[in-house]
Amino acid sequence: MNFLFAVFQQTTRNLFQTWGSQVFTLLTITLSVLIFSFFYLVYSNMLNVGKQLGDDLRLVVYLDEEPGPELQEEYRYKILKFDRVDRIEFISSKDAYQRFSTQLGEDKDVLADMPDTFLPPSIEVYPVRSLDTLSRIKRFSDYLMTLPGVLKVQYGREWVERFYTFIQLLRIVVILSGTLLVLTTTLMVAHTIRLSLLSRQDELELLRLVGASSHYMRTPFFLEGAMHGFFGSTGGLFALYVLYNWIQLHFTGSTVLPIFSFTFFPPVILMIIISFSVLLCASGSFISTNKFIRL
Amino acid sequence: MISFRKKVIDTSDVMVDIIKVTKSYPPNVHALIDVSLNVNKGEIIFLTGMSGAGKTTLLRLLSRIERQTKGLVEVGGYDLSKLSRSKMQKLRRKIGTAYQDFKLLPERTVAQNIAITMEVAYKRPILIRKRIKKLLDQLGLQDKYNTPASELSRGEQQRVTIARAVANEPDLILADEPTGNLDHETTGRVMELFKECNKKGATLIIATHDESIYSNTNHRVMELYQGKQMFFDSQSKKRQLPSFVDELSFGDL
Repeated sequence: MNFLFAVFQQTTRNLFQTWGSQVFTLLTITLSVLIFSFFYLVYSNMLNVGKQLGDDLRLVVYLDEEPGPELQEEYRYKILKFDRVDRIEFISSKDAYQRFSTQLGEDKDVLADMPDTFLPPSIEVYPVRSLDTLSRIKRFSDYLMTLPGVLKVQYGREWVERFYTFIQLLRIVVILSGTLLVLTTTLMVAHTIRLSLLSRQDELELLRLVGASSHYMRTPFFLEGAMHGFFGSTGGLFALYVLYNWIQLHFTGSTVLPIFSFTFFPPVILMIIISFSVLLCASGSFISTNKFIRL
Repeated sequence: MISFRKKVIDTSDVMVDIIKVTKSYPPNVHALIDVSLNVNKGEIIFLTGMSGAGKTTLLRLLSRIERQTKGLVEVGGYDLSKLSRSKMQKLRRKIGTAYQDFKLLPERTVAQNIAITMEVAYKRPILIRKRIKKLLDQLGLQDKYNTPASELSRGEQQRVTIARAVANEPDLILADEPTGNLDHETTGRVMELFKECNKKGATLIIATHDESIYSNTNHRVMELYQGKQMFFDSQSKKRQLPSFVDELSFGDL
């Protein structure tokens, strides 16, 4: 009999002896993983939405007069000093006129009596696209307002702020549900293993007396914890997948999910969630065995 | 891996060496007082004495279930007080113990109870099954293979304990009252099993009240009385009392 076979035999025996609490623990872990992964899925999809919206994000800094080459350099220097940007474009009054005229298309005649310098010159700042850009955009805007010669800074302020608040809220929910996941998995598994250990005190005592090694006694419990983590998280993610499909089926094409595609986790994220759950549950088991198996 | 035989053969023939061992419990109970015992490899020795004399305590010291208060306890050349946990675990796999309170797992079958000592030594399942069947045959329990230990009589439980103690072919067998609940015939079977183990090289230390199992043998007998020791030869029944005996009152001896 080799070590692995012996450990597997012991683990199976443990699972059968305390199957009631095992099932309860498995359900708790499944539910915890489901709650966490659901919010994380929404959060990661919201990040994608933010990224999509961020692609169109730019700050338009209106100036009171046309900046010369030296002043342009100075503006460029001051902007880059505050934050990383994708690119900076200086738009002269004439360029702005041309653009506006192009945008008007067939209606450009309305501009016929206007001088081609009636629009103020501006700087278009394209921040580096990320969620962080969204969170910093207000501060960036405030900073740009302090630059000399700036009349006004424009961006989609309202939606950016609302979106950012929503993302912040989601982030908090993900952190809370992640904490819930950590606590429930670790504590539940530690508790179940403890029950298992208490129910097998006589056997453990006998194993000590007949010279069982520490690994022989501890590894089955460790494996039991890891199995809780694996099956619990797999169950939770499977439930999430079912939920995801249900959402896709019932909300695709509606007004709720028209602006972005709601996607499921890529395999690598699934693997990370499962691995993390296994690690947490094994830790819970380790805590209990360390505490209750006196060698 | 600890090997008694190798080390004992290389260094000495001594399997158990106990020198002036005292075991006290708080507040002031002395279970053993200055006990010394030297057991050679392949020897059978009987520990006798009244209840509470210290026989079980002595056996517990030999498998380090308890530690002595004073003195030296060596098994297979190893000072048990200095042995690391992992080495002690390996050593225990070479010591088979039949406990007075049996220490059987009631919900497990007879076979599962006996298998434990072989499973911790990672013996192959096929060998385990074969060994269990042979032992059950020898002890008259062949029909109890799959019977839960809780359904056995005390005598049967005692035999299962003995089977478990010898299953892994240990180098040292410690048996605490192994025939206490057995009839004459079954006692004979158990003693035959012990002799067979002894022929294969095992050293046996048997604590017993049952004079019939040692009275007609040449094996040494150590009698304990109130934690103190005395030797007498089992053949001649002539006591070889140590010097402290003069200080004691042995009205009943």
